[in-house]
Amino acid sequence: MTKKIKKITIFSGINKFGKKENFEKIEIKQGEVIAVVGPTGAGKSQFLYDLERLAQGDTKSKRKILLNNETPNKEWKSNPRKKLVASLAQSMNFLTDLPVNNFLKLHIQARGEKPNLKLIKEVIIEANEITGEPINSEMNLLDLSGGQSRALMISDLANISISPIILIDEIENAGIKKEKAIKILVKEGKIVLIATHDPSLALNTDKRLIIKNGGIVKVIKTTLMEKGTAHYLNWIENHILEIREQIRQGKKIKDIKLFCEKI
Amino acid sequence: MKFIIFAGTPGSGKTSLIKYVIQELKSDFKLFFAKFDCLRTDDEKNIAQKYGIPTAKRLAGELCPDHYTALEMPKIIQQNQDKDIIIIETAGLCLRCSPYIKEGLGINVLDITSGHPNRYGPILTDADVVAVSKGDLISQAEREIFRYNILDVNSNCNIEEVNGLTGEGAIDIAQYIKNSNDIDNKKLTLKHSMPSAICGYCYGNKIINDKAVHDRFLKGKELKSLIPNLNCGKCGFKSCNEFIRAVLDGKIKKEKCPFLLNK
Repeated sequence: MTKKIKKITIFSGINKFGKKENFEKIEIKQGEVIAVVGPTGAGKSQFLYDLERLAQGDTKSKRKILLNNETPNKEWKSNPRKKLVASLAQSMNFLTDLPVNNFLKLHIQARGEKPNLKLIKEVIIEANEITGEPINSEMNLLDLSGGQSRALMISDLANISISPIILIDEIENAGIKKEKAIKILVKEGKIVLIATHDPSLALNTDKRLIIKNGGIVKVIKTTLMEKGTAHYLNWIENHILEIREQIRQGKKIKDIKLFCEKI
Repeated sequence: MKFIIFAGTPGSGKTSLIKYVIQELKSDFKLFFAKFDCLRTDDEKNIAQKYGIPTAKRLAGELCPDHYTALEMPKIIQQNQDKDIIIIETAGLCLRCSPYIKEGLGINVLDITSGHPNRYGPILTDADVVAVSKGDLISQAEREIFRYNILDVNSNCNIEEVNGLTGEGAIDIAQYIKNSNDIDNKKLTLKHSMPSAICGYCYGNKIINDKAVHDRFLKGKELKSLIPNLNCGKCGFKSCNEFIRAVLDGKIKKEKCPFLLNK
């Protein structure tokens, strides 16, 4: 079993102009969801990259990362079966020509564990909570829609991937319930960092890091008001998904909901 | 002096990665870069212009580009005694010939979308470092399975994910280069024997349905299985392949090999 990461500490580095960043250290705890925001080219990817390679003042930004208050053990980096960080990039499709259940079995084996039918079932159930178009275990990965693929990738990431830290580079509107997706990831005790321009995602977090000119300039703790805004935006998005699904099913749209219900 | 060979199929991202690696190394080391290819290339000019380091190109033309690389390497070393690091980029075509040497560092740039790693021969199985490119095109699960499959065919390698567009991973590759052994005045040996020229086509034979040509190949293949490839030189020839060719040409009896199996 992988060692639990209870805390990540980031010590400040320098921005694109060589100026020291505006903080001493930032701490991220297990189960937290952090948004990384800023204009395109501001340095969001560099920040995620520093985390991924557990920078020790050896990257462009000169940032330093500690895990559980300690300098990370070399093994985290060198042992290929112990990758610390998993990432959900913008890819929307699988390239593997296999049925869903065989693919998940292969992934479990790649972790060095025995095939586990219960786990496979759970991954599919949770994926189906994220997408409106049900996936079954016999479907071929190549035949899944963009939304189904994305949902399966997220559920797999939450349940099978070894890595305690997950980096998400923008979950765009791929026909999935984003709020639910984040919930499933955090439930497994992972730390989730999302680089995003999407308001409903950025506000549905614990903190957000504002990046400008290659440096972190501000850390904002999400307020209750902002969380409510995120909740409202999510409700609208889910309503759009519902209507979308009805159109796809060949139904007529009879009414539109104007008031946010309790989800 | 450090001697680094980058090998990988065309389009895997060797040149893009090498550019970022040169960027990492050029201020601290005296570099030389040689690009091998079959028919044409301008990469050596671009790199010389962009990074201000001396470069050369070698075009194999009619020869097998990897055999040609092995033939040219000593000359390149001879002409660049004042350099700290020599970087060779091979044409990377047949996967079977990749000319890694034991004394230097062999880096395989492997495109993650190129299929199961067990399709590759020595280009992957003999590499010291495997730089996996284009990982952002597929899912985390597929990345983890790919990693596992690489370790299955080359359990001793170090695996790094790289991105030729953003330069991610170049720092790590540069680190492996810095930590690699010096080749100074050592006898240089290929990691494995390249395919033997026993079939006749290597000498330019074009007829493919001639019985004599085919018989010679079968006899050569049988000799290959009887001679243990020790290259001991006791038969009077420099290599077992040369000896086999002499046997096929009727110049010497196979029993001249002191280690002949099933005598």
